[in-house]
Amino acid sequence: MRALGPGSVSSFLKIILDVIYVGLWIFVSLLSIFTLVALLFSFNPELLARMVPISDAVEIVSRNGPLLAGALAAWALLLGGWMVIVERLRRIFATLTAGDPFHPDNVLRLRVIGLILAGLEIGRYIFSGMARWLAPDSKVIDDSFTLTAWFSVLVVFVLAEVFREGARLRREAELTI
Amino acid sequence: MPVRVNLDRVLLERRMSLTELSDRVGVTIANLSILKTGKARAVRFSTLDALCRELDCQPGDLLTFEGGPPDSDD
Repeated sequence: MRALGPGSVSSFLKIILDVIYVGLWIFVSLLSIFTLVALLFSFNPELLARMVPISDAVEIVSRNGPLLAGALAAWALLLGGWMVIVERLRRIFATLTAGDPFHPDNVLRLRVIGLILAGLEIGRYIFSGMARWLAPDSKVIDDSFTLTAWFSVLVVFVLAEVFREGARLRREAELTI
Repeated sequence: MPVRVNLDRVLLERRMSLTELSDRVGVTIANLSILKTGKARAVRFSTLDALCRELDCQPGDLLTFEGGPPDSDD
């Protein structure tokens, strides 16, 4: 089974990434809408009271609304980051499908992926820290340090350098007569 | 580039066109143009051999070292 070129494993993975990308788009859009709705209801509880006649539900939403909106916004940001990563991966796999893995643009794409992975990990610490401060009793908050995430970030940066060297060698080969 | 390619001058002396040389040595005109304009990063011994054979010259007739700072890798 071939790894590069049309009809190879990379072209199959490219199709999977396309599907994931579309799914993420839909999911992030829905999350953004839910965040706005949660914000709207948390600051206008009387609007919700008119729509939902249960007074307990209105009280719960008005009490937890801003926290819910914050959590939804954090999720939307996290998924937005993943969307950028998947989008860059799609472009990288397009070059692999074309049989040109050492395209010079892949270096920047990999660096962006590494930076976003690092940003997402730092963002996770910030959001979980804020969530722990706002909801100290919650048991679902995970602010533990994950070595795997930082290892992945370093691996992506090293891979970017490998691709930079590959791109340089490709240019050398092009200019060897 | 500290190494200068004198393909232009040798072709003129032999009254040979780049197209004719390309046909004789089996190197595309595009690649010969890269070599002629000094944009090439390396020359294979097989290419040099074919060029010297067809142009009836020595490698030193085609390449001259002029000194100066080396090109960056990027």
